[in-house]
Amino acid sequence: METLGSFALLTSGNHEPVKRLVILLAITLAACGVPRDPEGTLARVSGGVMRVGVTDAPPWVEVGDTAPDGIEVRLVEQFAEEIEAEIEWVEGSEQELFGALRFHELDLVLGGLTTETPWSAEASITHPYLTTATLVAVPADSEASEDISGLEVGVEANTEIAGLLRKTDARVVEVDDIEDHEGPVAIENYLTDDLDVVDTGVRLGESDHVFALPMGENDWMTTVEAFLLERPDEIKQLLDELGTP
Amino acid sequence: MRFSGDFEFPPDKAKANDRAIRLEWITVGYLVSAIFFIYITLGSSQAMKAAWIEDILSLVPSISFLIVARIRNRAPNEHFPFGYHRAINVGYLCASVALAVMGVYILYDSISKLAAFEHAPIGLVQPWGEPIWLGWFMLPALVYSAVPAVILGRIKIPLARELHDKVLYADAQMNKADWLTAVAAMVGVLGIGFGLWWLDSIAAILISLDITHDGIKNLRTATAGLMDARPTIVDGSAVDPLPERLRTELLAMDWVRDAVVRVREDGHVFFADIQVEPATNEGLTSKVERAARDLIHIDWRLLDVIIMPVAKIEDPRRADSDQPDVRRGSKT
Repeated sequence: METLGSFALLTSGNHEPVKRLVILLAITLAACGVPRDPEGTLARVSGGVMRVGVTDAPPWVEVGDTAPDGIEVRLVEQFAEEIEAEIEWVEGSEQELFGALRFHELDLVLGGLTTETPWSAEASITHPYLTTATLVAVPADSEASEDISGLEVGVEANTEIAGLLRKTDARVVEVDDIEDHEGPVAIENYLTDDLDVVDTGVRLGESDHVFALPMGENDWMTTVEAFLLERPDEIKQLLDELGTP
Repeated sequence: MRFSGDFEFPPDKAKANDRAIRLEWITVGYLVSAIFFIYITLGSSQAMKAAWIEDILSLVPSISFLIVARIRNRAPNEHFPFGYHRAINVGYLCASVALAVMGVYILYDSISKLAAFEHAPIGLVQPWGEPIWLGWFMLPALVYSAVPAVILGRIKIPLARELHDKVLYADAQMNKADWLTAVAAMVGVLGIGFGLWWLDSIAAILISLDITHDGIKNLRTATAGLMDARPTIVDGSAVDPLPERLRTELLAMDWVRDAVVRVREDGHVFFADIQVEPATNEGLTSKVERAARDLIHIDWRLLDVIIMPVAKIEDPRRADSDQPDVRRGSKT
């Protein structure tokens, strides 16, 4: 799936003949309903019940006491409305959810998954709908410099970001709650406005966010992907609204 | 007496060889671009993966041809007294081992995916801002990987015959057969499109069987070459007539009572190793020298002729022959 990123390379130069050929192919064969689902998921879910597995991963999925919420949950609710499906939420660990997905007992799995997910051999992973970055930021009133060597940078203890930060020459200051920390911090890029800090330009990592679906249900998969790819602005808005510390 | 390594090709063959080298450079450049296009459209199709690996492997014969072209003409030296002609057999062996191993690997991979009922996922991509199913890109990429290859293969086959070059021949055969792979992979991709997930693995299995078959066939020829098997014509379909012709020429000389000829094939060129039973020992040295000089001009591929006069020929190949006396008497 990481090969998809290389498509950016295709956009440079003249690819008019290829473009025409591909679009012609797409139009002719899309008329025959290609790609199709081997197990007919889209047809069953449309106007029926969509079984969605969720695992806690704020701000993407927050498993509440009654109903789940989060960026991905809201997107799926909107999608369900579009295809007139009723959602059946199923909560579980990733192990449980992907086990069920493998046997088509679930139609979709959400949980802040990225293209790095180790489950990619067990499930279809969608085209990334959003890319976020992990970065080092400094308070808005101080000077942002890319040189962070020796800088004391706050980071939430026992997290992936802490591990990434340790690989740089910054001095790691572990904190329990990043909101209480004054000074430079290592955080996800969507938290900068909440914490009133500015990007230094130092990137610790990038995440391409995806949903997971049953293997090879390509009509279902492309329908979900098309829904997500049409909404970059809405997704950013949801991130602004729900992406808080 | 001439020693091997003066030259490998006469002028007209040298021209054909230059042409072959040019064609192989074109092949390498083209294959690299085809490998790139298939790579960016690879997705999760098993058949695409098989076609992609086959394209990568088909670089091996071209590249070994080009490497060998640089070294095989080096003069013999202390360390390699027979010259470097046989570098080509080594290159050929490497190419065929790679083919056979990868063929078996893809075969195993595809069968296990089929057995696990694994359905290949292919999703959307956005190369021009609008989302398009990746499967539609796979088909033109596969066409691009096949059509020029077939043309190049067809041009190279006559050259391989002319140059008596088995690596070039194997390479041309692989290029020529590439359309089969491309069509199989296209069927696999269309299968995924129409929800027939198993077609993808079936196509991949067929492609891998083809790769394995190519590999084993070439592995046999390559091993036989390194074992100094009886020379064959370039496609391996028939025995090369040269050894028999050398013997006929020798028996036609009035001082030769009998002769046995062994010919070794070192890449393009042949080394002949001959025992003769002279009718008379008078002026033997000059007769042997003249015979060697004459024989070497029979065929451009003949680089070295060694003639050893013996009192009585002992050839284990004749032990089980039915009519040793008739052969021996044929010369009177």
